[in-house]
Amino acid sequence: MTNFVQVVAVTVSALLLILVLDLVRRRKLTEEYSFIWIVCAGALLVLSLWREILHAVARWLGVFYPPAVLLLVLILFVFVASLYFSVVISRQRAQIERLVEELAILAAQQRELGQDRDAAGHPRADDPTRRTTSHGAD
Amino acid sequence: MKRLALIPAHNEASSLPVVVGELRQHHPDLDILVVDDASADTTREVLAELGVRWLSLHQRLGIGGAVRAGLRYARQLGYDTVVRLDADGQHQAAHVDRLLEPIRTGRADAVQGSRYRGDAGYHTTGIPRIGQRVLATSLSALTAQPVTDPTSGFWAFGPRALRLLAEHHPTGYPEPELRLFLSRNGLGVAEAPVEMRPRLAGRTSLTPPRAALAFMRVLLAIVVVPLRAAVEVPGRD
Repeated sequence: MTNFVQVVAVTVSALLLILVLDLVRRRKLTEEYSFIWIVCAGALLVLSLWREILHAVARWLGVFYPPAVLLLVLILFVFVASLYFSVVISRQRAQIERLVEELAILAAQQRELGQDRDAAGHPRADDPTRRTTSHGAD
Repeated sequence: MKRLALIPAHNEASSLPVVVGELRQHHPDLDILVVDDASADTTREVLAELGVRWLSLHQRLGIGGAVRAGLRYARQLGYDTVVRLDADGQHQAAHVDRLLEPIRTGRADAVQGSRYRGDAGYHTTGIPRIGQRVLATSLSALTAQPVTDPTSGFWAFGPRALRLLAEHHPTGYPEPELRLFLSRNGLGVAEAPVEMRPRLAGRTSLTPPRAALAFMRVLLAIVVVPLRAAVEVPGRD
């Protein structure tokens, strides 16, 4: 790895790390989801700074041009991060659907409660839509 | 002065009646709000019989989120002072006065109960204690205020703190970040000496992997919170 490429790699990794931290600072990125990016940017920074490790990995893989390993690592990290966020999105989808259902049930319970009284607050006797069974708990 | 005792609870059905009973005995003046953080045990049935107000979260938010939900509701209900007491019985109702006093006299916006001022009673030992000490030293330096028990969840919040935290109480295992956040936003935090007991039943949710994650979050908070802009909150003192 030439000196120039190393300087570029270190600068870019450092800037990425700072970007992630600044997003957390500005509350645009939640701490929980920032860790994977901090780890990735940090790992890239370490690999850019210690060319011996990079060269050793390149030799082991049989890659002629060490910075290509950096690229490989970056692509791998981006793939893993994307996969992780797909998992997060899946969980959030399940949560949102559950919230939608709970909300509909809550609204129905409220409606039914409302129908037990007329405008003046007197209990209604013959509301045809009023249930006679208990409404249940939560 | 409307004052509330806030009890976040996750799977503490056996301890809740004891904690609520103790609170009623020592502080019949305090209203009680329990936040059930998606408990899987009989907490809901127990709550119905205790005659307290409660929030039942259908998804688990963790202690930070549960406290935030409770503070949000407390603010809407018009309370101006809130005491957080954990449902596991570690916090003693007899000590609530020590937490409320600095708020009553206007000396502080929030008060944290500390096991390490004066006689301690039950307290952590070993590696977790070393970690707490390191954390305490760092937070004392960062907030320029004495921090002796950074992870203590025994807190009292005055009106200014309540307004801020109803929206911004940290999530996760929030206490260290809470000290950083309050300090950054110019709120005064006092400490009150308390003694804690071992939990009455059950197990802590803070398993070693969660503790490791919480520790990393604190490191991140130490970097990020002091650099954040101060928060603006609608409403007045």
